[in-house]
Amino acid sequence: MTLDRLANNVIDTDVLVIGGGVAGCPAAAKAAEHGLSVTLVEKSKVDRSGSAGQGMDHYGGAFPRGMTVDEFVEIWKELGWESAWYFGGKFADPNRLYRLYANGQWGVEELEKLGVNMKWYDGKIRPIKSVRQYPFLRIHWMYCKPEMAAGVKKRGVNVLNRTMITDLLTHNGTVVGATAVDTRTGAFTVIRAKATIIATAACSRIYDPETPVPWKYKFRFHWCPASVSGDGWAMGFRAGAEMANFEQTERGYRYRDDLTLSQGNRNNEGVSGNQFTWDGEPMCGRDRADLERQGKTPIYVTIENIGDDFQKRVEIAYVDERMISLKAAQDRGFNPRHHWYELMDDRPNQLHVPPGLLGDMDFKTTLKGLYVIGDSVAGQHDVANAAVSGFLVGDSISSYIKQAAEPIIDEAQVQSIKETVLAPLSVKDGTPPMELECAIRYACNRYVGTFRAEGKIREGLRRLASLKREFLPKLTANNPHFLTRCLEVRNLFDVAELHMLACLERKESRDFQIRLDYPDKDPKYEGMLLHQKLVNGKITLDWKKQGQMTLAGSHKEER
Amino acid sequence: MPAKIDYKKCIGCKRCYDLCPMDVFTIDKETEMPKATYNEECWHCGICWMECPKRAIDITYPASMW
Repeated sequence: MTLDRLANNVIDTDVLVIGGGVAGCPAAAKAAEHGLSVTLVEKSKVDRSGSAGQGMDHYGGAFPRGMTVDEFVEIWKELGWESAWYFGGKFADPNRLYRLYANGQWGVEELEKLGVNMKWYDGKIRPIKSVRQYPFLRIHWMYCKPEMAAGVKKRGVNVLNRTMITDLLTHNGTVVGATAVDTRTGAFTVIRAKATIIATAACSRIYDPETPVPWKYKFRFHWCPASVSGDGWAMGFRAGAEMANFEQTERGYRYRDDLTLSQGNRNNEGVSGNQFTWDGEPMCGRDRADLERQGKTPIYVTIENIGDDFQKRVEIAYVDERMISLKAAQDRGFNPRHHWYELMDDRPNQLHVPPGLLGDMDFKTTLKGLYVIGDSVAGQHDVANAAVSGFLVGDSISSYIKQAAEPIIDEAQVQSIKETVLAPLSVKDGTPPMELECAIRYACNRYVGTFRAEGKIREGLRRLASLKREFLPKLTANNPHFLTRCLEVRNLFDVAELHMLACLERKESRDFQIRLDYPDKDPKYEGMLLHQKLVNGKITLDWKKQGQMTLAGSHKEER
Repeated sequence: MPAKIDYKKCIGCKRCYDLCPMDVFTIDKETEMPKATYNEECWHCGICWMECPKRAIDITYPASMW
């Protein structure tokens, strides 16, 4: 048995980058600039894939250049990041966070070198101090992905579009590459790599979609692209890498009109929110569930009073990030300047900022040869963090490559992965992937949705286990397109299981975890993060103290 | 139907097929024109609509999203 007979293609590369988004492209480009052979694998097409596929309106890391650790900590305190729900402060290694923000301006320069437009209409960088309270840039990024795709190709990166990585390959605990399936032809590929970088996004598909239509149009979420199915997390998890914060679901309002307004776009233009109950009382700080009981809902938000100039600016933000919004408004006869937007229920919608693979100061995971960047890292998000983490890893990885051993592929491992991965193609009269995905979503929504309690979570775990036992082997695909969806469903099972186990383990209410049976914070969990990993087929749960700032106060990044 | 192709305007450049993040489109073997085959997976991102050089694609919304 040889590898060539097992796989349709065998690729040898120094660096394998999994995911061609705002993290993956910079990493691939930078590594290639250092003369390494780089293979970039993307499930969709790099030119329009990932969270910034439609565009992006802000770059959230425009901190002053040459900022020392002391200065960073001061800004941190001033911004109140310990309590700000949207930031990685409490979920991430603060040392790594410092590195990311201290290199934010370097990231801007590197993106420009890559061919990405960072400037405003007047040809200048446009910083904004927004209601999000951190320094960032307003950017015209409607074409950022085509620009990145061109930059990556120019540097000689081998780009495999429409290719899904299914599993990582390991040899004595070191990651030595991965297996992949072509989403259009079904060709099975083995990629042998000295180093592998996970640069995929988070996971937005274990909870209900926003639309109440079952089966059809189930993929829609307004923040995350529908292709985000936790692939990077699941493959890292199956290979034994350590993960953290999987009880921390992100919640969000659902806007009936989210196609026509996002809180984010408005905030990014520095326009503060004006939320009110249907009878005009201000919303600020009031509990939504109480308001519901009092008959005060729906909650609305409006930009009718912000003035023409600001309204124009918000509209430009849409064009930069999601042009379809304007068309949707027009089709519905919805005028964003005069009509109110309804903020629908505040429900869990995704695993995003806090959860992820653990990455150290240099974005190394707990597995040798495996790096993690972008949204896949626990406690990390935003295009700035994604791009900077990509550039940093791409810039330093050649020193690892130089001393890395030749990767050795275990053929039996490839054989077993291949059998599992291609199995749905030979199942007749089985379960279509969409049906099973809806079942997973229903289980998460029902048992670990907004309010959690031990009985519900245990039932959820039982439900999930029985679905996995009964239906995962029956998944069927009559072509490579549906095979891809089947493989995504397999990943969703892993993410959902990690999620439910973590919800059960944290016996308190904190941040995004609301336990009805433990309604208060428990001091014993203060500063503690929940770590999980796969050991001999079982998921271990460990409480570990969150990292402290260890870099010296006068330390300064020199980029 | 989320993505609707107007074949009177479509020039068969296959840009939608090339770029759709969810791979909703296929190419019809006989006509060699793009077809919205996996429309139930469309998430209305509008990339086909904004990239189509002839604006031959319309994105329409189901009643529940209206």
